[in-house]
Amino acid sequence: MNSSMERRQQSESSEFQQNLEELRQMDFFSALSIEALKVFAYLFTREKFKPGDHLIHQEDNDGKAFYILSGTAVVVRQDERGETNLGEFGEGDFLGGLALLGDMRRLFSVRAHTDLLCLVMTREKFTKAIEQFPELVPRVMETMVKRVRLWEKRLLLEHGGLCDQCRKKVGVSLI
Amino acid sequence: MGKVKPPVVNRSLWSWILTSNLKLQALLLVVIVIAVFTRVLPLEMQKRIVNEAIRFGELELLFRYCGLYLAAVVLAVSLKYLINVLQNLIGETVLADMRKELYHHILTLPLNFFRKTQPGLVVSSLVTELATAGNFVGMAIAVPVTSVLTLLAFAAFLLWLNPLLAVISLSIYPLVLFLVPMVQRRANLANKERVDVTRTLSGKIGEAITGIHEIHGNGSYRIENRKYDKMVEALRKVRVSWNLYKFGVKVLNNFFNNLSPFLIFIVGGYLAIKGRLDLGALVAFISAQEKLYEPWKELIEFYQVYQDATVRYSRTMEYFDTQPEHTLEPEDREPYELAGSIEVKDLSFVAEGGIQLLDNINLTLKPGEQLALVGFSGSGKSTLAQCIGQLYRYTSGHVLLGGKEVKDLSKKDVIYNTGFVSQTPFTFEGTIRENLLYSCAAVVNGGETLEVEAMPSLDDMIETLQQTGIFVDVLRFGLNTILLYDEHQELAAKLVRVRENFRRDFGEELADYVEFFDEDEYLYHSNVAVNLTFGSANKENYTVEKLPENDYFRQFTDEADLTRPLLTLGADLCRQTVDILGNLPPENVFFEQSPIGPHELEDYKELAKRIAKKRLHQLTSQDQTSLLRLALRFTPGIHKMVRMPSIFEEFILESRALFKEKISEDDPKAITFYQTSEYIYSKTILDNILFGKTKTVNPHAEEKINQSIIQVLIEEDLLETIVEIGMEFQVGSKGDRLSGGQRQKLAIARIFLKAPGVLIMDEATSALDNNSQSRIQGLLDSRWKGKSTLIAVVHRLDIIKGYDKIAVMKAGRIGEIGTYEELMNRKGMLYELIYGKKAAV
Repeated sequence: MNSSMERRQQSESSEFQQNLEELRQMDFFSALSIEALKVFAYLFTREKFKPGDHLIHQEDNDGKAFYILSGTAVVVRQDERGETNLGEFGEGDFLGGLALLGDMRRLFSVRAHTDLLCLVMTREKFTKAIEQFPELVPRVMETMVKRVRLWEKRLLLEHGGLCDQCRKKVGVSLI
Repeated sequence: MGKVKPPVVNRSLWSWILTSNLKLQALLLVVIVIAVFTRVLPLEMQKRIVNEAIRFGELELLFRYCGLYLAAVVLAVSLKYLINVLQNLIGETVLADMRKELYHHILTLPLNFFRKTQPGLVVSSLVTELATAGNFVGMAIAVPVTSVLTLLAFAAFLLWLNPLLAVISLSIYPLVLFLVPMVQRRANLANKERVDVTRTLSGKIGEAITGIHEIHGNGSYRIENRKYDKMVEALRKVRVSWNLYKFGVKVLNNFFNNLSPFLIFIVGGYLAIKGRLDLGALVAFISAQEKLYEPWKELIEFYQVYQDATVRYSRTMEYFDTQPEHTLEPEDREPYELAGSIEVKDLSFVAEGGIQLLDNINLTLKPGEQLALVGFSGSGKSTLAQCIGQLYRYTSGHVLLGGKEVKDLSKKDVIYNTGFVSQTPFTFEGTIRENLLYSCAAVVNGGETLEVEAMPSLDDMIETLQQTGIFVDVLRFGLNTILLYDEHQELAAKLVRVRENFRRDFGEELADYVEFFDEDEYLYHSNVAVNLTFGSANKENYTVEKLPENDYFRQFTDEADLTRPLLTLGADLCRQTVDILGNLPPENVFFEQSPIGPHELEDYKELAKRIAKKRLHQLTSQDQTSLLRLALRFTPGIHKMVRMPSIFEEFILESRALFKEKISEDDPKAITFYQTSEYIYSKTILDNILFGKTKTVNPHAEEKINQSIIQVLIEEDLLETIVEIGMEFQVGSKGDRLSGGQRQKLAIARIFLKAPGVLIMDEATSALDNNSQSRIQGLLDSRWKGKSTLIAVVHRLDIIKGYDKIAVMKAGRIGEIGTYEELMNRKGMLYELIYGKKAAV
């Protein structure tokens, strides 16, 4: 009942077209050829999560990436000492992308904090699609490099006074 | 069973005649003697008809002799048929026995033997090569006796007719007897070679089929074709020469047989002209002489079959003439019940070619202790486990199991006391249940039947399924079963109740994941066809794929004014999908969210071009059907390229009621409507409980749904019933309908169920995901520790902390052995294995 109401209220464009609009605003996809863009817009599926639902489970090799359309999610890590809250993702964030490129047993869990709507891409779809548009490969690598560098830069800027122990461990962008 | 029987491979071909059904053989002999008589009788009649009846014009005699002649011919034919029947019975029985005994023998041969023996070779030996031998045993008494007796009878008859002519016509046979074996010897040589080449060829085929994924993976078709073609050519050559020699024997025989009438014509004709032989006698003689040919030909053919059978039989038996390394069953005693202690002393194992796989191994385990064998691959850890499990026969030193030398134990003693889970466990064709009980059945009663009191109970089985983590899989198999109306009505009624409870208890909670069937709502996760018919088709022509061609349905859409909106929807889907997917290859991953299948894309691309040029009503009826098909497949929850206009939904809902009304009248059996109170027999148990469609492929949502269903099933006390149904799931040949992990879990489960005193696990959890692996390790630590002695070959080092002893192997020796702490403190080989070489420095 609810869902049909929702649907009727939405604009008359199909979900595929809505996805297309979203991708156009995303850094990585915005510059793609229209043909490639269509295929990706088609392959992305929408998924809803309720507060507490897992997007990503620590130790799983789920091979998925998420683009958050609405809502927020928290990142946590479970170890011998229990669960540590590590941060938050929100609308417009793209996460899990590294898992699209290769096997990645998750080091963190990501849980929906509010009601969450995501675009989801799987490794299988992504690799098959990339095979069809090989011109994207350098773009994928470039984006990854940029993101790793940005990540560390932000880490250094925001936590300039890291503890001595931690400071020794920085340098992931040197890999 | 019999006393000391010689192994089947050492039996001679002739010995099979003695063990064949001797009563049948005797009956056969009697029949043959009568048959010989019936063959001679017509000849005598022939002579009398000419000499007595015709010559003296005695009509009565003519009728009497002709009557006797006819009777003799009919009798001869019937007896010939009877002889064939008896031969066939004897031959096939012996063949079946040979096949059974040889197969039983082959299965006991040591594993080493099968390293160099391809499965194809065993198949061809058992199926093809033995067939002639069976054939031969069927003939072995009957044919030579018939032929020789017939020959003797005719010879005597000829001698009685005319001694001179008889001696002349018989004179050729000694010559044939001298020449034929000379040619046959060559044929035999060729035949031997043929058997060998066929054997290699079968092996080659077996190898290629087993490794077909590698051939596809490497695209090495040509390499394999070349190897195979070469062997086929070799086979062709040897077969040609074999056949030529065989024909040679026939030609030689024919020639001499045709030579003898020539002699009779010359001599007999001369005598008749001179008046020293009456015409009737000459005619009779020539007839009788012609009849020599038949038995003689049979005798020669028998000789050839004998030669062929001997070659094939001996060649086959020679190949498998290896003895099992261990006796199968203990004589004169029950199998030992051994304590689970293991003592390995100075153990060495040298494989063929002098390769030392194990070198002077020493270790001891008290009953219930757990040992992990670690080390690089090739370090001998698997070999050690296999020697302890009696799978390989060690070449020197001792392995004592409960104080008894493993080498001297019978196979039965070993399976009574140990359980072995191999690295690549094998699942046999049959049900989950049969595979689960495989090890227990082998111990309990040799697997004769599964229904024995000593067998594990259903509760035991379910517990084991849960422990090894395959329970959920089996439950899923059960839930995916389609029940039969005739057998399961009671269960179906209960499941309808489960459906109601499920909806009541979890309907709201799961509303985001499941779209429940509701007669008044449009279903976004079901296709248009289901939304229209709102039921499940019982007849083939009411399934989604057949509806577009179903005249009744087409008439309905016309009447309900649905055809045009459906065609418009179909055209929209066709245009959009082709636009997105038009240039992609037919790979499934691209088509999961498309109403067009990967192999239909080309057709719909063409159709899209036609739609662009024409109006819908101008399209051919075939094109319209194609569009209608897309429209009926359209599932808004999956196919996102088109948005369904809301007016269309209402349209369909209206038509749903109309359709139900109409079809209930016209063809009430065609469709089972989705009604909360009705079980749908064409759908799985899961679909029936869910009574709706899942909206997401998210595994965690599925998990939630699963948990809810399990809970409802438990409340209704049906969980075990469903698991029991799931255990009847057919796993397919080699278990190919199971995943690698499921097969491995099943293999572990069947050993856990047997609960042996000594568990040997050779990387038994290597195909499992982390959770399952940890679960089983946890089980070994808690449930089996102290109860069963465990030897585990382990390649993942994060699970070995709980073991009592860890042995690090290197190059066939134990480098170090001790507890985890001891070895880690020592910072030796284990430390190096775990932290890498650098860290150890």
